[in-house]
Amino acid sequence: MVDFITGHYAYWFTIILLCIGLYGILFKKNLVKKTLGLVIIQASVVLYFVAIASKWGATVTVIDDSIPVDQVAQYLNPLPHTLMLTAIVVGVATLGVAFTLLMAIYNRYGTLDEQELIEKIQ
Amino acid sequence: MQKGLKILLLILFAAIMIFAASDLPFRGDPDNRMHAERSVNNTRVIGNYAIQNAYRDAHTPNIVTVILGDYRSVDTFGEQIVIYTAGLITLLVLRRTRRLGRSSAL
Repeated sequence: MVDFITGHYAYWFTIILLCIGLYGILFKKNLVKKTLGLVIIQASVVLYFVAIASKWGATVTVIDDSIPVDQVAQYLNPLPHTLMLTAIVVGVATLGVAFTLLMAIYNRYGTLDEQELIEKIQ
Repeated sequence: MQKGLKILLLILFAAIMIFAASDLPFRGDPDNRMHAERSVNNTRVIGNYAIQNAYRDAHTPNIVTVILGDYRSVDTFGEQIVIYTAGLITLLVLRRTRRLGRSSAL
């Protein structure tokens, strides 16, 4: 039982983080807070992939002369780290575009509240 | 009523996800399938290949750098195009809204 919990608590943490992000998207009326919920969801996905790439007792993915490369269990899995690096960079770029669009909406309508925006657009 | 339904759906979603996560392999287990030599389809997994051959292929000690810059360099190039496009769109939208805001203020 203790083994099960120590092997899975990282996944539960990312799932709870995902639900916090979904809460922000579903319940908050302010568009900035909705965007922040989206960012929290993205962070949870990144943390999930980094958690799944780990190995107990392994070192970072930099070649160490004292550890031969044939012992692959001594190094972390480098592929999820690489892909998450890409995902983080692209996520920050799209977040910038989202905030720019929010600025445009605020300059045009003077509000970021969802309900007020629907009324003003009609 | 609407809010209670949403909260119920959210809690149900969390419960289903946590139940599904109990089937995942243990975190950090070196015998995990994704750390093995071959995948379920009996194709080679890139993780071990990268660890064993990265230094021989690119003469860089950092394996993540080798994958990002050498094995997947075209992907990184596309990522840079995404960043450039995002910056360009930011610039264009901000310029347009500034012009619109000034004309509506007058």
